[in-house]
Amino acid sequence: MFRNQYDTDITTYSPQGRLHQVEYAMEAVKQGSAVVGVRSNTHVILATLKRSASELASHQKKLSEIDDHVGVAIAGLTADARVLTRFMRNECLNHKYVFEQPLALSRLALSVADKCQVSTQRASKRPFGVGLLLAGYDATGPHLFQTCPSGNYYEYYAMAIGSRSQGAKTYLERTFDSFPECTVDQLAKHAVLALRETVSSSKDTELTLENTAVAIVGKGTNFVIYEDDEVKPYLDMIDADEEEQPAEAEPAAADAPMTDA
Amino acid sequence: MEKVIYVNETDAQRKPLLPSASSSVMSGLRLTAGVPLKDRDDSVLASAAGAPVKHTSRPIVTGSSVIAMRCKDGVVMATDTLASYGSLARFRQISRLYKATDHCVIGGGGDMSDFFELCETVRKETTLEYCYDDGHMITASAIHQMLARIMYNRRNKMDPYWNYMLVAGWQHGKPVLGYVDLVGSHFVSEVIATGYGEYLGLPLLRKAYREDITVEEGKKVLQQILTVLFYRDARTIDRIQIACVTEKGVEISEPTKLETEWSYKAFISGARASDVSTW
Amino acid sequence: MASIGTGYDLSSTIFSPDGRVFQIEYATKAVENSGTCMGIRCKDGVLLAVEKTIISKMLVPGSLRRAHIVDKHASLVVCGLISDGRVIVDRAREECENYLDFYGRPIPGAILADRLAHFVHLYTLHWSVRPFGCAILLGVHNGEKQGAQLYMIEPSGVSYRYFACAYGKGKQAARTELEKLSLNDKQASPQISCEQAVKDLAKIVVSVHDDSKDKEYEIEMIWVRDGKPAAMVPRDVVQKVHDEAKREAEADSDMEDE
Repeated sequence: MFRNQYDTDITTYSPQGRLHQVEYAMEAVKQGSAVVGVRSNTHVILATLKRSASELASHQKKLSEIDDHVGVAIAGLTADARVLTRFMRNECLNHKYVFEQPLALSRLALSVADKCQVSTQRASKRPFGVGLLLAGYDATGPHLFQTCPSGNYYEYYAMAIGSRSQGAKTYLERTFDSFPECTVDQLAKHAVLALRETVSSSKDTELTLENTAVAIVGKGTNFVIYEDDEVKPYLDMIDADEEEQPAEAEPAAADAPMTDA
Repeated sequence: MEKVIYVNETDAQRKPLLPSASSSVMSGLRLTAGVPLKDRDDSVLASAAGAPVKHTSRPIVTGSSVIAMRCKDGVVMATDTLASYGSLARFRQISRLYKATDHCVIGGGGDMSDFFELCETVRKETTLEYCYDDGHMITASAIHQMLARIMYNRRNKMDPYWNYMLVAGWQHGKPVLGYVDLVGSHFVSEVIATGYGEYLGLPLLRKAYREDITVEEGKKVLQQILTVLFYRDARTIDRIQIACVTEKGVEISEPTKLETEWSYKAFISGARASDVSTW
Repeated sequence: MASIGTGYDLSSTIFSPDGRVFQIEYATKAVENSGTCMGIRCKDGVLLAVEKTIISKMLVPGSLRRAHIVDKHASLVVCGLISDGRVIVDRAREECENYLDFYGRPIPGAILADRLAHFVHLYTLHWSVRPFGCAILLGVHNGEKQGAQLYMIEPSGVSYRYFACAYGKGKQAARTELEKLSLNDKQASPQISCEQAVKDLAKIVVSVHDDSKDKEYEIEMIWVRDGKPAAMVPRDVVQKVHDEAKREAEADSDMEDE
């Protein structure tokens, strides 16, 4: 296979100008279980689907607090995410130490993206195999950012990443116009409904107290994670509202990473 | 050329103390940001080589008092425009007020070179903020905090920036006024004065302060206090600048001359003309 | 392609027998797939424009930034990989700061372009790194005497000064259009103003954009004008000009249809 010549080294471009190693790292994000982020005029909410390795194992946490005003949801290699999480906590603490103010979300996303970029350009490194959804509230309001292994970062009104996230994306694209004016509860319901789209196609999974976690941050609210029993109100919310049938999940469209997106 | 310090320097055994080039250097151009080892502080290298560490232990060209008052609708700050070299009135037209952002001004006393260097540091930060162009702009209290961290960091190295600074600003619809000094002390207050102003000006500032005092009134108060300081402090001149920060932004006046009155009896014959005591 | 499978195209430290470095050429491919970027030197400054594909309607406008302010007097746009471009942006800011620190005046465009070209070129010399997958259009204004300058730096580290230039997907068509503006009249300074150029570049973007093939897009513009600090052209201004250009183009094509 010719293709193999160009896809084993991070510093090698293919004749088409693509970086296969980076694209493969982007695939790692799609292997991770799904996470959803939505934003209103005042709040950002993350909803995640947790997996457990076996019956005897706990569910892998996918939400982390970074600072009072920011948190992340991860999709991809958890160990890589831990490195980035620690990095972000450090950035926030340093900024708070020097300026006595919380770090702006756009700057935090930028610094993570810059860190990711470095490992796409050196032979001695590999890209981080993790995508992040950053949710936070700063001087310019609520923000939802996505970062990629490629070093790109995006600000979204609503976004879903991870395995089978296309279904959630379709749901969000259909409904996100109404998000700005949503109350916190309404917004949370949208987040969980979107998340449910990622499990609806598989028969044996559904959202449960064990595998679902929700996080909220916004005006006057620090980043809080709700899981286990605390997530019950959010699951009840969608159970109470069963009439709205979820759309069929579409097959994941291959996003071309690193190329001009 | 690159300077390398040697340990136990003898002609026979010369071992470089530090690697001459770090791994991130290629063809003389740096691939990564950061300070190469060879650019580190000379005194640190010298001390590692066994020599005593020497630091600045006094300011050289100095500015005197800075005084400021937080008012209802803004902050006013004033300085004279003199930079002394010891007791010599060396530079008479130096501005000691620096407009940091559209809503922040910094006034500095103490070593003027150190002050300008600190202003440069602030300028770099604000330029970067401008470049980011992301809707966030550094606030006066963030600048105040940053300066405090820099000052405290340097004092822990026993190599302080020899300054007393006031930071005035307008943020989130409120005036702020803060103080920072060479040991890293920092606080916010409604009236602050540094240098001789701390002794002679502060009581006057406190007396004049009201919660509902306006910027216009504040300016007059500061002018009067600087006049008093000019009479008493031998390191001032009668040329002053007044800055005010309001909702509209920073306004720094052109240097103006203080009106003085020297015909008081005490000025002519001396305040203790009839006092026979030696003290 | 003759290069594929020869083994001479796997590293930027390998020459092919006919003296080419294929990895650099491949990096250039990454740039050529990117949205069209354009720059133009005007009588009162320099203007840069870039066509940005909108990858999702849920994206917040202005996200995935390609136009960057580098210093009060310098700006650039990134054509190609955005994340690679940010490394050059950071470097450019550092160079501006260092120069000002050392010489006490803003860095001249020629020197900034030269230093960035050196930096970009460096990544073509060593096996442990890959060349940048982006080109840089650099707009600098050095006051009345030296005026506005426009440079383009390519992934190879080559840099030229231009009256007007274009790179990316629609570069050929865009260059042809730019030449029609006849800016290279060496006898006189350019006659076109920045305000006018905003309209002209928007028109060109509209004309080179292939509606049938490409997705939704927005235009990002940045300028450095006489006596003013580098700034993004306000989004509403760009939007207005863009809409006008589109309307005109549609009207033209309707006429052709008849």
